[in-house]
Amino acid sequence: MNYVVGTYILYLVISVALTVWVARTLHKNGRLFLVDAFHGNEPLADSINHLLVVGFYLVNIGYVSLALKYGDKAADLQQLFEALSTKVGAVLLILGVMHFFNLYVFSKMRKRALLHGAPPPVPPQAYTPVVE
Amino acid sequence: MKKLYILYDSECELCRRCRVWLGQQPAFVPLVFVPFQSAEAACRFPALKELHPEEEIVVIDDRGAVWQGGAAWVMCLWALREYREWSLRLGQPVLLGAARRLCTVIASNRHKISTWLREASSGEELERKLALIPDQPPCAPGGYCRPR
Repeated sequence: MNYVVGTYILYLVISVALTVWVARTLHKNGRLFLVDAFHGNEPLADSINHLLVVGFYLVNIGYVSLALKYGDKAADLQQLFEALSTKVGAVLLILGVMHFFNLYVFSKMRKRALLHGAPPPVPPQAYTPVVE
Repeated sequence: MKKLYILYDSECELCRRCRVWLGQQPAFVPLVFVPFQSAEAACRFPALKELHPEEEIVVIDDRGAVWQGGAAWVMCLWALREYREWSLRLGQPVLLGAARRLCTVIASNRHKISTWLREASSGEELERKLALIPDQPPCAPGGYCRPR
């Protein structure tokens, strides 16, 4: 096993572990947001939450696999760590972007749900009798 | 709030187009369109004349709260599903002032704008759309508002 294969193995282990950790964090903490966004409809929120996590796994593990062979090839231990840190850094950035995108989607959903009960933005200017 | 009555000018092309557009939007609060010149408007809102509905659009809810001009438009947007976010934005004091002024300018020139609109297109399309969203029948259950 040479240094290149070593880089690949470490890269896969670290990236997949990170993806799983972020996905689980999102799954756990995003649930409250979603329940709120769907007016307390828990089964629907859980379903959407699960689907979001599946999509998250697909995009991230897809990217990790695609990016495996790109980058400098290590010839010694120092280069192994340099290549590894570049690759893991890229994965982390992608995860960060995905994470904020998820947050954005959640808060958008929540905002829309809150609109439903929003009071009138301007107070009445007068009152008049109404015959119903 | 169960209903929002929109008192518009049925003799103005621009107002009728706005009414068609409003009527086609999905709404949180049902909108009821009543031409302010109609007998229905006069008997449903006995004090309507004091509000001068011929000057600017008047919006009244089922409990009698009145909004007029720019504020009335903000309330129309607030009633619509797709535009409630915009109404909350426009309801802020700075934008509301601008909206009020804009609506006053448009309302006082609405007959001129209507003339341009009539020149630009035939009225058939508008009549067809208006027929799709009819005015309230001129009679409330119990018959109080039957034309007398």
